[in-house]
Amino acid sequence: MSDVPSATVVQDGKLGGDVPKRDGGGGKPREPYKRKLSNYLLDKRLQLRYILLVTVLSGVISGSLGYLIYQQRHAASESIERDLAALTQDDKSLKDFQDQVAAGMAAEDRALIYKMVGVGVGLVIILSFYLVLMTHKVAGPLYKISMYFDRMKEGRLGNVTALRRGDMLQDFFGNFREMHEAVRTRLQSDVITMESAAVALRAKATADGRQGLVDALDALDKHITARKKQLL
Amino acid sequence: MAGAKPQYKRSWKNLLLNKRYQLRFTLFMVGVSAVLMTGLGVWVMKEANEATTVAMARVRGEACPKIPEVIEVPGTTDEPAVPMNIEDAPPAAPEAPAEPPTDEKAAPVKDEKAAPAKDDKARDKAPAADEAAEDKPAEPKEAKPELSKVDPKHVAANNGQADLLAVKALWCTDAECKPETAAPLLIKVKKCDDYVKDKLANAEAVDALRKTSIPVVKCEGGGEPYSVADAEPERHATVQLEETSMTITPTLPTDFADRIVAHHTCEMRQAGSINALEQGRLRILWVLIGTGLLLMLGLALYGIKMTHKVAGPLFKVSLYFAKMRDGRLDKVYNLRKGDQLVDFYEHFKSAHAGVVTMEKDDLARIKATIEAADAAGLGDHASIAELRTLLARKEKSLE
Repeated sequence: MSDVPSATVVQDGKLGGDVPKRDGGGGKPREPYKRKLSNYLLDKRLQLRYILLVTVLSGVISGSLGYLIYQQRHAASESIERDLAALTQDDKSLKDFQDQVAAGMAAEDRALIYKMVGVGVGLVIILSFYLVLMTHKVAGPLYKISMYFDRMKEGRLGNVTALRRGDMLQDFFGNFREMHEAVRTRLQSDVITMESAAVALRAKATADGRQGLVDALDALDKHITARKKQLL
Repeated sequence: MAGAKPQYKRSWKNLLLNKRYQLRFTLFMVGVSAVLMTGLGVWVMKEANEATTVAMARVRGEACPKIPEVIEVPGTTDEPAVPMNIEDAPPAAPEAPAEPPTDEKAAPVKDEKAAPAKDDKARDKAPAADEAAEDKPAEPKEAKPELSKVDPKHVAANNGQADLLAVKALWCTDAECKPETAAPLLIKVKKCDDYVKDKLANAEAVDALRKTSIPVVKCEGGGEPYSVADAEPERHATVQLEETSMTITPTLPTDFADRIVAHHTCEMRQAGSINALEQGRLRILWVLIGTGLLLMLGLALYGIKMTHKVAGPLFKVSLYFAKMRDGRLDKVYNLRKGDQLVDFYEHFKSAHAGVVTMEKDDLARIKATIEAADAAGLGDHASIAELRTLLARKEKSLE
């Protein structure tokens, strides 16, 4: 167990397995990380699906009720215009006044439409941004776990760092972390078992001059070294 | 293993696999919709209330035909006025001269406005009538007043107005008032109390009130009501009428009944329209509430189902995590059709495969070492025994 290196905090509270290695000497310096809006859309399918659903739903509700509002307002305006026309039909001098009132009410109705469209578009934009952030809190942990999965695929079982504060799926991530640690610990324990067996057998095989076993132990040592690297 | 495996039952509880995630997203969706529905619904109702108020005002503003006031004897018609004064000679006598029944005596009840008009007409017609009288003798048929075609019931009702006219004449000449049968009489005049007290001391004025069943007299602008019952005791006068001297000629407009019917029909139509508008307003309210509630319910169910398609794969992966933690690397099955996080699941599958590969590599290397040790005659070595145990565990984990 003592031969397996323990995880070391190397930078910004992150563990060695998570910190990308710097280019060795001659490479170009790494560009500072810039947070982009596209980074918030980590799982487009998952996030856009929910965003579109809520946005379209809000749009439909706002559109339907907005149309009802306009309809009611327009009905009231039309009624007032008709009454005014009936009242002023005998007096030609009041025609200008009637036209003025009608134009004023039509302008108010139009302003109402613009106001509602503006509020609706603003609502959709704000809602979309908020939903991107909200879904990012689910997509972020999934993305992080996916990266760990990719490492596991390559046989690399480094340390797993915690999620950011505010991220969702903490329970799921906890399960993953537990599994990852269990697999890593087991493999480390296997390495120790294999290593101690190899050390014990090598002394015997070398003393007895058994070349076949020595070759097998050499291969086992190689395997153990590679595995140790993977478990860093 | 003799017992049958219990059949899996899908229940609603199983849809909520990850309560925190699923409820958060569902509640957000429902919350946004609820806020929008409530906010815009209130706005809709505000506009609907305004539109209804405008429409109601419009309905109320439509002028209905007025109920013809019986106290106004029509001065524009050529029909003779009702001779209410029983002392007047009946104009229906065939012997009577062919005098037009527009004489002031013939219509003592007509109002002041009608009187001059009638006088003018009478003056205009008088020369013609005189000329006609000079030219040819009066024909009894023409002089005879026409019988009214009005329903006698209406005539009776009309006659009932005479009492009101009397009240008007006695009470409302020096003061402003509008007498109505069986309703308090409201007086508007300076020094109203003195005026009312004076009048109540007048037996004739009190009698007029009693005949019209007016219970109290009030001064406009407040003040103490004066009870007619407490006024001067009723005087009982015996009046004898000679039946032969009573001739009542009804002069109600011929369309009196039609106008009343038209008035009430119009009022009922207006009331119906107003009621319909109010019902329409309420309908909008109930439709909004109903739609909102249905939307919330539908969204809640849909939200849980939708998020289940994410929570389901996560739940499945969690089960595999538990197995891997316990050292069991079983076969990984595919997701159900329609589930989300397919890419994520593929990543997990490859990770699982990576761990399996590592185990297999270990297995192969351990096997080779054991075989070499066996060949070297060191199969009984304690380290080889440890390796055999490790090999068995790894083989079991891959089963």
